[in-house]
Amino acid sequence: MSNANDLKNRTLTISRLLDAPIQLVWDAWTQAEHITAWWGPKGMETKVIEHDFRVGGSWKYVMMMPNGNEFIAEGVYATIEAPHKLITSANFRPMTEGVELQVLLSEEGDKTQFTFHVVHETAEYCQQQEAMGFYNGWGSTFDRLEEFLAD
Amino acid sequence: MRRDVFQAIADPVRRDIIELLSKESLTVNAVADRFDISRPAVSKHLRILHECGIVRYDQQGRERFCRIEPSQLIPAFVWIEQYRQLWEDRIDSFESYVMDLKAKNKDHEQRK
Repeated sequence: MSNANDLKNRTLTISRLLDAPIQLVWDAWTQAEHITAWWGPKGMETKVIEHDFRVGGSWKYVMMMPNGNEFIAEGVYATIEAPHKLITSANFRPMTEGVELQVLLSEEGDKTQFTFHVVHETAEYCQQQEAMGFYNGWGSTFDRLEEFLAD
Repeated sequence: MRRDVFQAIADPVRRDIIELLSKESLTVNAVADRFDISRPAVSKHLRILHECGIVRYDQQGRERFCRIEPSQLIPAFVWIEQYRQLWEDRIDSFESYVMDLKAKNKDHEQRK
């Protein structure tokens, strides 16, 4: 098995063509005031505890569950090349699992090509995640657009 | 021994049982019929799932049905946010927010 294949097995990729200028997309992804608006699922408040936006700097977001439990996402920025490339490590607790999040942006006229990779530690781990696809139904709760439009 | 949702999903048979029961409630015998492993082995997995709070038993007449407690799965759901659909949804949320931000900026500029 080649390294390229191995990496592919460990990587989840999502691509979108976003109808917005690259600087706006970059700011929305990287600035704390914006992150709190889109990071968490609907009905879950996201707090940015730490946001040291520099290479080697830490970030930490906490989501409050309705029952008072906290879920923590945190990581360390590895690469920051505004407004094109952001790489960070990430752990999601209570179950700590090292993944790497990569955001790649490129200009397409006045739009932005957005590519997002989640690189998992092992292929086995990644497949285990896939095997749990039955959790999909929860996803529909995510969209916060309506809330924003309603405001 | 640890008894939580992560223990519950640590075993592939238990993940299959959760998936099966998330679609419909079944008796212990009906669950066992779906697997090639022995009935006592299935019962043991169900007992662990019960101890982890994932499976509840409902007595209905002479039958005992196994039901999923969806709320108990939430910690795992948050943990597996690496999973594709959840990331897709987060990216959806992000895209919506970007569109919103763009519209707001436009309003702002028009007001200048």
